[in-house]
Amino acid sequence: MAELFERIGFLQQGPFAVPRWEALFANMDTLWEGALVTLLVASLGLVLSLALGTIIGVMSASQWKAPRAFARAYVEFFQNTPLLIQVFMIYNALPILIKGMFIPVIVIGIIGVGMYHGAYIAEVVRAGIQSIGRGQLEAALSQGFSYVGAMRYIIIPQAMRVVLPPLTNQAVSLIKNTSVLAVIAGGDLMYAGDSFAGTYGHYGPTYVVVGLLYFAMCFPLARLARRLESKARVA
Amino acid sequence: MKKSALLSLLLVFVLAFSALALIGCGTEEPAEPADNAAEPAEAASEIPAEVQAIVDSGKLRVGVKADVPNFGLQDAATGEFEGMEIDFAYALAERMGLTRDDVEFQPVTAKTRGPLLDNGQLDVVIATFTIKPERLEQWNFSDAYYQDEVGLLVKKDSGIESLADLDGKVVGVAQGATTRDAVQAEADALGIELEFLEFATYPEINAALESGRVDAFSVDKSILSGYLTDASVILPEGFSPQDYGVASKLGTDELREFINDTLDEMNENGTMDELLTKWNLG
Repeated sequence: MAELFERIGFLQQGPFAVPRWEALFANMDTLWEGALVTLLVASLGLVLSLALGTIIGVMSASQWKAPRAFARAYVEFFQNTPLLIQVFMIYNALPILIKGMFIPVIVIGIIGVGMYHGAYIAEVVRAGIQSIGRGQLEAALSQGFSYVGAMRYIIIPQAMRVVLPPLTNQAVSLIKNTSVLAVIAGGDLMYAGDSFAGTYGHYGPTYVVVGLLYFAMCFPLARLARRLESKARVA
Repeated sequence: MKKSALLSLLLVFVLAFSALALIGCGTEEPAEPADNAAEPAEAASEIPAEVQAIVDSGKLRVGVKADVPNFGLQDAATGEFEGMEIDFAYALAERMGLTRDDVEFQPVTAKTRGPLLDNGQLDVVIATFTIKPERLEQWNFSDAYYQDEVGLLVKKDSGIESLADLDGKVVGVAQGATTRDAVQAEADALGIELEFLEFATYPEINAALESGRVDAFSVDKSILSGYLTDASVILPEGFSPQDYGVASKLGTDELREFINDTLDEMNENGTMDELLTKWNLG
């Protein structure tokens, strides 16, 4: 095994040399801490985005004009501006506009990805609702359900099955997008990797391992999406 | 089924990375025999083989700062680079027998300059690159062409007058810079606590200072002077003198010698002093 390593040039010198890997594995604590922050921001951000996405999605499929217009504006705003700029603005511009309004970076992360992916999830939810035949809603209304009640008990449960796979895909994107926090010194996995790579210069192994850690977080979700998709097809 | 899917996935990963690594090696390997072959010819001409290879390629690829006034600054309107380090790059090219037009500048940050040298996209980096023992293991450095010290930029209305006043406060530094260690050492000596936030570029740190996210912007003093405004002040204190050197890929010893010779020559005939005066760095 050792002989094999000696023959592989890029393990002997350059950015991927063995001593660099050793230096990284001796200092994995920084990366683990970053991964924890990423997990925290991703999970709370996901909760926020699901809540926002469902509400806005229902609004955009609603029969009333005002909520539809609001939902449209929300979705267009968040879908058509980069998350990076949104986060940068909350970080740097907000404290200038409103003196002393320092939102903690982790909260910015949660709000940032939560609202951003909320917009995408809203579109998924709207498509899901519209995929359920209009007859279902009319039948529910004729049975004496209110509009909200019909949504709550008849339409959304059926739509849920349709929207689950695309929702899981959104969750995967959301995890990866938490890496924008690195730009505002957010202490997440990407920031920890940047900091380590910058300080010690072992950028080769660092970014490989950071990439693998993101993969480890996203892959189970992506698998889940596939499973749900095949299930939905069977049902 | 599941197992094989996982296995094939792993395989894809391994293949992808080894492919990347091989590409990296592929560009490196042919260079060595070429070097050896060129060595006999070296005695004949004054220019060493490594430098001759650059001359033959017709351009000198230099990594410079785009956001550091007086050292390396890119004019937003014209896209031209200007500063002491830019002029030094021109001088280096001219001594190689190239013209100013043959110098190809590429903006770098503290984070990108090392990788760009390693993967061969740049011949040299002249970008306020501090010579440090750990860095000497990774890149070649010329002798120092400038010495600077780490300073602190604070807002005037913050009332901060020295490093000691920053106890418990937040300091913004650049990723991949030596500043953090230097300031931390000084803080330890004073027995004060500091929190550090790292950003990728100087304008980002400056934005964080303006918005109040950080209480001090810390980097080498000459760089700080470019961000000084009516509302901010550079503290008189300075610590851990920093030597700037020209970096090149590890192992390019002939190139380093050539750069050192150029530096010696410029120091002797006074052109280096002229450069420093021209850019207010004297």
